[in-house]
Amino acid sequence: MSPTSESAAAGNNSIRGRERENAHIIQQSNKCYEHRELQATAMSVDYTGQWVLLAGRRHLALQRLGQDDGTLREFQRNSKYEVSAAEFATLPNRQEYCAIATSEHIDVVTWGAADMQHYHSLRGHTRMVTDIDWHSKNSNLLVSCSIDTFSHIWDLRDPRKPTLSLSAVCMSGATQVGFNRVSGHLLAAAHDGDLRIWDMRKGSCPVHYITAHLNRVHGINWSHLRETCLATASQDGTVKYFDVNNPRRAEKIITMSSPVWRARYTPIGNGLVSIVVPAMGRGENSLLLWSNNKQTDPVCSFVGHTDVILDFEWRPNRENTSEIELVTWSRDRSLRVWKIDDMMLKLCEPDFDSNEVCDTPDSFADTPTKFQPIHSSSLYQPTLSLTRAGAASLPSESSDSLTIPTLSRSPPPPMRKEETHIARSLTDQPTCSLHHEFSLLNRNMPHVEVDLLDAIKRFAVFKISAGGHVVVLQTVFPTEYPSPNIGPEFSFCEGTTLHEQLSAVLLKTLRTNALQRVKKSRTCVEQCLRALVGAMKKSVGGVTDKSQLRLQSPRLEGALSGALHDACIPYPRTSGVNFNTTGLLVTFAQAPNAKRLTLRHQNTTPRTFSAISGGVLLGNVFNTHRDSNASFYLQDRMSAKHTKNRSMQKQTNATPIVHIYEACKLLNISCEMAKEFSLDKRNLRATCRRNRQVCETYGRYDLVPIWTLAELIAKPNIPNETKYETLFYKDPFKKFLLEALIMHFASAGDLQTAVMLACLFHKCSSTAGDLGDLMLTTTQCYQHTNKLQQLNNTSPYHTVLPIDYHASHPKSNSALAVNVHLKQLRSNSWSDSLDWVDTKNCNSDSYSCSLIRRTKMPLFDHFKKVYADILFGWQLLTKRSLILKHTMFSQSQPHGVEFVTECTGCNKIKRTPSCTSCKRPVLFCQLCNLPVKGAANACLACGHGGHMVHMMQWFKKHSICASGCGCNCLKQTAALLALMN
Amino acid sequence: MVSLINTVDTGHEDMIHNAVLDYYGLHLATCSSDGSVKVFDVKNGNQILIADLKGHQGPVWQVAWAHPKFGNLLASCSYDRKVIVWKEGAANEWTKFYEYNNHDSSVNSVAFAPAEYGLILACGSSDGSISILTCNIEYGVWDSKKISNAHTIGCNAISWCSSTVPEPAFDQRSSTRNTAVKRLASAGCDNCVKIWREDADRWVEENRLEGHSDWVRDVAWAPSIGLARSQIASASQDRHVIIWNSTDFTTWSSTILHTFDDVVWSVSWSMTGNILAVTGGDNKVTLWKENNENQWMCINDDAAATNAQTNEQRTL
Repeated sequence: MSPTSESAAAGNNSIRGRERENAHIIQQSNKCYEHRELQATAMSVDYTGQWVLLAGRRHLALQRLGQDDGTLREFQRNSKYEVSAAEFATLPNRQEYCAIATSEHIDVVTWGAADMQHYHSLRGHTRMVTDIDWHSKNSNLLVSCSIDTFSHIWDLRDPRKPTLSLSAVCMSGATQVGFNRVSGHLLAAAHDGDLRIWDMRKGSCPVHYITAHLNRVHGINWSHLRETCLATASQDGTVKYFDVNNPRRAEKIITMSSPVWRARYTPIGNGLVSIVVPAMGRGENSLLLWSNNKQTDPVCSFVGHTDVILDFEWRPNRENTSEIELVTWSRDRSLRVWKIDDMMLKLCEPDFDSNEVCDTPDSFADTPTKFQPIHSSSLYQPTLSLTRAGAASLPSESSDSLTIPTLSRSPPPPMRKEETHIARSLTDQPTCSLHHEFSLLNRNMPHVEVDLLDAIKRFAVFKISAGGHVVVLQTVFPTEYPSPNIGPEFSFCEGTTLHEQLSAVLLKTLRTNALQRVKKSRTCVEQCLRALVGAMKKSVGGVTDKSQLRLQSPRLEGALSGALHDACIPYPRTSGVNFNTTGLLVTFAQAPNAKRLTLRHQNTTPRTFSAISGGVLLGNVFNTHRDSNASFYLQDRMSAKHTKNRSMQKQTNATPIVHIYEACKLLNISCEMAKEFSLDKRNLRATCRRNRQVCETYGRYDLVPIWTLAELIAKPNIPNETKYETLFYKDPFKKFLLEALIMHFASAGDLQTAVMLACLFHKCSSTAGDLGDLMLTTTQCYQHTNKLQQLNNTSPYHTVLPIDYHASHPKSNSALAVNVHLKQLRSNSWSDSLDWVDTKNCNSDSYSCSLIRRTKMPLFDHFKKVYADILFGWQLLTKRSLILKHTMFSQSQPHGVEFVTECTGCNKIKRTPSCTSCKRPVLFCQLCNLPVKGAANACLACGHGGHMVHMMQWFKKHSICASGCGCNCLKQTAALLALMN
Repeated sequence: MVSLINTVDTGHEDMIHNAVLDYYGLHLATCSSDGSVKVFDVKNGNQILIADLKGHQGPVWQVAWAHPKFGNLLASCSYDRKVIVWKEGAANEWTKFYEYNNHDSSVNSVAFAPAEYGLILACGSSDGSISILTCNIEYGVWDSKKISNAHTIGCNAISWCSSTVPEPAFDQRSSTRNTAVKRLASAGCDNCVKIWREDADRWVEENRLEGHSDWVRDVAWAPSIGLARSQIASASQDRHVIIWNSTDFTTWSSTILHTFDDVVWSVSWSMTGNILAVTGGDNKVTLWKENNENQWMCINDDAAATNAQTNEQRTL
């Protein structure tokens, strides 16, 4: 298709309004190509500047520029999806390559003589690809970004997977991405209003975060000259210049009346071109050229398009680099080409004479000569020398393009100052601005509810609840608003819960804030509301609801936050496995069909919750009301398809089944065997034989030889030797064999066998006997002590009863020197029958004759403790205490009351029945006045006591103390014990 | 080797995400995306629902039982940013014992500390922090400590080091003192497993285990029977399970257990720490055991297949 009539005027650059009163340039297009049938959504200009690709759902079309024939090559394509991005390679060695993104795939195609050739298909994204950019230095690299929050860098030499995946851990998908043009290492990706700057050499996390805009960023463009500079265009109606090294603050801001769709630096010169999307779809669809030094007014506007401009690109002119053209594609389905000439570029240069330059931080007002390099705007100041050096090293033609304007540069035209007028009318149209302000108003401000917005009647009502107060704020906007000194009128309506004083303060806050904004003809509603919320919070003395604040931290604001947040929540487990402390295994798994439903577009399980919770942009799952019957994950997708939903539900309802397995065999541990195993030490060999039988019965044939071996270990070396002590003591081979066996079973995971062996050979003093044995021999004694045992109310499972009485009655001790010592009940019973005084001494003896070395004891005690815990889980409490009897150290410190007595010879406090240094007994019975060696008992209140048998006899008939102190011993002791418990 | 002893139809309205037996193996707790936690009596093959706990407003990710010496306590964590501790007062009467609301994002993991330390609960959240909640049992008062920014992006799992772990140079005299050193392992979206040690009132990062190339989904500290070695298993989105070994808590060596077909997200050790159960995105359960040559062997390859089949048959 050939250029239309408009292009007839191509040569004369159309009307150029450069009259004195209208210094602002209005430029019309040089060429126009109409393509009514093309529904292209993406456009790209190739390296040579000869071809323009127009890509749409049904067609790919190549339009030839430059030659007047205007050849159009069309390629049919049939896809369900629109082309979301298309980019020609930017380097000559791949100049015929083009990347076209459709849905989540990217196709790399080349344009042959006859047909399009499909070259690669890059698959890796899981959601729609939103932007593509080729590397400016390495022709093999390109980057793509997607709604799935990832930015993938692809190397065409290995197109199967991305060479680098940049995972923006964030709640919103990436909308724009761009390689740095100077270094090639940096790249920027836009996520909602934020920018992430990555360094390809360090792909794990972004090098910078920039909170750039309040609203979505539509365009990112790196500077052609300065490595760290970029410009962003945003929905919030601003273009911001950033230096990534200073991410806190934008260097410069251009404010426009409508959302800005794209902003791109001019490839040469010092300008920037922006596209706005007019509010409500009406208004001028203009392209504006700005000087990077002057943010108040545009240098030039390009008019002609009748609908929204979808995209624009620079058409490189390979013959003459000083001349650039702009190619635009609009929804009015016309492709236009605009020439940007020297004059316009010159206007973009810093204006030394103008007063406005003084506003910029590094002004050139003091520079002595006008022959400054053209790039030495305030923006480029820091890299001045670098730019110059770079320019010098460039090929001659490009350096020409840089230097010629400088030399031929005349003093800036004087009419610049009057441009302001026009610009105002373009950017700050008072009639639509209120409309526009309302449309841009953030309706999700914390604490603020927007009740009513009426742009025609020019008033608005907000409800603000913060700091314990509720304010209903009515705002009326005068027709002149927002011109200087005319701000909106604020008033509090019915429903406001404020006292007079506070409301006066708040109103004042509102007015001052409004005036500050309107002074510069800026809109003020949002700022005022925020200020009001702040003031209300402050009014309660800074005591703010912490949790409230935390939930509404700026990152989490907005309706999308809930769903966006899911990007960092792991994908829910659909199966699980869990061992329990007693050897049971719990497993569950959802039915495969329920899973597939959520994963239909993927081969592997996704990592984040956002993959199923309705996606990043579909809305906030968490807040949406949900049907109690519908699955949490099905609601979004299936709500439209009710019939299908029902059938799905049935399946998902049937799935949550949990299986419980008995895994004891696997763990070499058995509850039944634990019940049967014996630790009878009266005849070790018989016990070993019995345990071997247990193993046979329960099918543990692997353990049969072990118990046979154990029997051999237990067998005395000399047949007639009956005393085990000497036997074990003299046989180091057995010692090490046994230890090796225990360690082997412990490390192999057969804890039960290890512990049984360790316990059986723990202490081998034949005198100690078995617990059952002991019970028989000391029955009488136990009968006596039964009463007390009940009193003590201690667990029968503890080997050491916690009733050691610590000195608590100094009075009775000193007064009557009642030499009472009460040891643990158990050892008392033992000492009665076996005449032991000190168990500890005995213990040390038995260790020396044990088969297990003392150094290993603590480790084996650990084994026993773990095994005891398992027995506890099986509720085999007697077995557990039997095992714990074989430990050397009790884990819990005994605590309770202990009687101490004072030796009459040395006056030292003794806990033993006799003083070892004075060799005299310290415990005397109150009744027979003889020293007590065996069981003793004493009154807890008065401290008098004596032989247990004597005490029992006495208290059968009497209730008061035998010493005659008048103490009612039985009652007092009972009361004290009750107190203790 | 393993025998099925019970099958419980939980009756949840949506996917379940965790199922745990209590200490004695008598009660089963399950949690689901329908926002509820259910407790079943599974003693002797029973399947009686004894409690349906509703208190969360989002999917419940994980449940954990406390040691029975503290009573019947159950902790649950949810997408709704809450951690709830439930208590059985009278028989089968469950009430909310404590609710913790101090996370900014989904809480993904809860774990009770070994009972020897007292009643302590650790929670890992997607806001990147780990909370350690200590209960004063006498007064029923909870105290919370927070490791903020433990994992950038988020913490996915928590596991405590068992209290019986011996000291490197095994010395009985010092071990009573040293068992008080609390340690826990956490797994996060920063592809790391981190080991935290309590150091006089503060939690410090003692070690960082880097070996995964994607989010780490689960971590499990092997129960110690007293041998002088510590073992940690971690499962990741990168389809690897890594076994970390150490004898002194300072140097950790890693062994890749296996590369699975799909992502792995759950690992659990048997009580003696010698068998590891693994499951992931493919919903298959595999059991692993280290043989004498220190190689990890799958011990239920065919069993897994039959299990999966029977599962499918049951569910279809």
